Amino acid sequence: MPLAGTPSSVRSDPAARTVRVPTGRGARPGARAGARRAEYLAPYALVAPAVLVIVVLRLYPLVLGVNFSFTGDGELDGTAVGLDNYVTLFGDPLFLGALRNVGLLVLLLPVAVAIPGLLATFIHLRVPGHRLFRGVYFFPAVLSPVIVGAIFNLLLAFDGPVNAVLDTVDLGPVDWLGDPDVAIFAVVGVHVWATFGMALVVFLAGFSTLDPSLLDAARIDGAPLPRIIWHVIIPGLSRTIQFVVVTTMIGMLTSMFGLLYVMTSGGPGGATYLPEYYIWIQQGQMSRPALASAASTVLFLVMVVVGLLQISVLRRSGRAE
Amino acid sequence: MRNGPLGTVALAAVLVLVGCGSAAGPESSPDGGNKLVVWDWKSGDPAAAAYVEEAKTDFARKHPDVTVEFVAQPFDQYYTLLGAAIQAGKGPDVMLFNGGGQLRDRVDALVPLDDHVAEDRDRLSGWDAFTEDGRTYAAPVTLQGHPIYYNEELYERAGLDPDRPPATWNEFVSGCTTIREKTGATCFALGNKEGIGIQFFLSGLGSGALTDQEYDDWIAGPRNWTSPNMRRLFQLWTDTDGAGLNNEGANSTAMFNDSFALFSSGKAAHVIGLMSDVGHWKDFGEFLDPGDVGVMRAPVITAGATPSLPYDGGIGYAVARWTADPHLAADLVRSLTSRDALAAFHTGAGAIAADTAIDVSEAGPAAAAIVSEIESGEPALHVALSSTTLDLMGRLSQQLLSGSVTVEEALSQLAASDEGG
Repeated sequence: MPLAGTPSSVRSDPAARTVRVPTGRGARPGARAGARRAEYLAPYALVAPAVLVIVVLRLYPLVLGVNFSFTGDGELDGTAVGLDNYVTLFGDPLFLGALRNVGLLVLLLPVAVAIPGLLATFIHLRVPGHRLFRGVYFFPAVLSPVIVGAIFNLLLAFDGPVNAVLDTVDLGPVDWLGDPDVAIFAVVGVHVWATFGMALVVFLAGFSTLDPSLLDAARIDGAPLPRIIWHVIIPGLSRTIQFVVVTTMIGMLTSMFGLLYVMTSGGPGGATYLPEYYIWIQQGQMSRPALASAASTVLFLVMVVVGLLQISVLRRSGRAE
Repeated sequence: MRNGPLGTVALAAVLVLVGCGSAAGPESSPDGGNKLVVWDWKSGDPAAAAYVEEAKTDFARKHPDVTVEFVAQPFDQYYTLLGAAIQAGKGPDVMLFNGGGQLRDRVDALVPLDDHVAEDRDRLSGWDAFTEDGRTYAAPVTLQGHPIYYNEELYERAGLDPDRPPATWNEFVSGCTTIREKTGATCFALGNKEGIGIQFFLSGLGSGALTDQEYDDWIAGPRNWTSPNMRRLFQLWTDTDGAGLNNEGANSTAMFNDSFALFSSGKAAHVIGLMSDVGHWKDFGEFLDPGDVGVMRAPVITAGATPSLPYDGGIGYAVARWTADPHLAADLVRSLTSRDALAAFHTGAGAIAADTAIDVSEAGPAAAAIVSEIESGEPALHVALSSTTLDLMGRLSQQLLSGSVTVEEALSQLAASDEGG
């Protein structure tokens, strides 16, 4: 953050100084010194609200939360219990399952990025109806997860339309939300469907920076579409792809609660638990807020790792520029 | 106009102060004692409006200078919000609870009401669900239980006598086979998406599977999870699904209200439902002819078992530890459980009220059948369990249906959780 540079640039602005010199009277040296001190303090005062909001509303509660995770629940409320909550947490197959599902999300990330990337490519290459698709693809992004979840609850119900269609081609009914091996993929699939519109827009913005002469040259040379994608589009969009990877990952880790809540309630048998759902259950349903704090702390650490990766990726792309 | 730097500093300071102000917590109830705040998830429901009005009137007669504010919270978030209030040590003076684990987990935050509600003890039923270690922490408003409802019209179409529902498990299963053949309806409507289908199954059929002694021991604890009869009950949970007695996809069918809709639409012959609120005689009577909604006792699974209606106190009002005047708050609880108020709740919301002297003759044969069973009824098996064990049981029940855990493994995990909790 270029804090140090700001005061000098303020002071060196001749126009600003001219305005602040009192007119009609001679500028006294004391007043000028006061004005200079105020000018020097101004940038700190300007960042103070933001800093205070972060410290008071973010960092302080965070520290309280971490501190709270070292205390007990129920009868032990307020008593220091050391690392007991973390021991409980890592001995709880449900929480470990939730962390495994986080790992699964990371593995599914390339798919979640490739889908909007591929569709944006088609739109950029002006497939017939590309204007319509551009709007249609973005449409789910404006729906709330609860509505999306409710829609797919109906579509994916055991006696719902998706299974009815599968039945006509003898693929038999699939218990999309009731089979522990299928449910997490169903929920992630719906999440990707609901959110890829935003990534698509980012990709389209990235395409606008792509040099069209490169594409034209490849076409003239007779390169087929897969080779154009691999050798021209992907290298040209590397920074966009990095950005989409990071934002999609964060979206998957922190914004799936609504869908889980509506579609599976973490089930069947805990197969679709994610840490944030676990936190909610422990705090709200099990009345174990300290354990929930410990789980929050672990989720926070996971997010810190993702956040640091984000920073390093953005830095690297910044250097590339 | 341009502000000088000092003006900017002042503006920033004001913004910071405003920001801090907006970060302050929600307003807590005043300690003055002239206002009581009640949290529940009922008072916003139009069906409960007459009940709230009756209770307020009754309380105003005793304490004309005290105002009562009802804050209706969304039920989904209720215990989360309450948990935050308890953690902060301030919040409502009086609050609504479900009986059983939800209350027992939070008795540290409540005032024992035994001295305050002594006069109501005989008039109301369902106290056990609000009692922990011999102390009563809430007064019951409704009774909640798990009658087995059956569709008399389907019985008739299948050539079975609707007035003589099956008394043993074997009769029950063979009746179901006949119904399936003649009408296409499944035996049970089961929704286990939330993992609570097992609670209804355990309590609804438990009195037919456990001997009287086993039943009483279970309620008193410590519980024997691996007794042959309990194992049989869990085996039946798996087997009924495997044998196609349930609707397909039970793990992805929501109990509220998809499974109840299956019963209401005649696609299933039986459902283990509730007595009050939802999924009960009144709901079913809106779709089926109220005269076709039958209530049966649990079929006898183990010879010598005595089937009974499983029920407990459903919802009840408790007094928070931090309230300024527990006497005053307890008086409000008494008004909320007065006969007139409960009669209004029965009429408006179709609940079986905790005061069983209230006339239910207008409500149809199913409600009358349920009320007639209350005297011989027993506490429901699952209400004795902690919320941690119930949560685990919900997940294991789903795994049992999907075949990813065996009955033995499930029971040993449940025994460990029950012992630890």
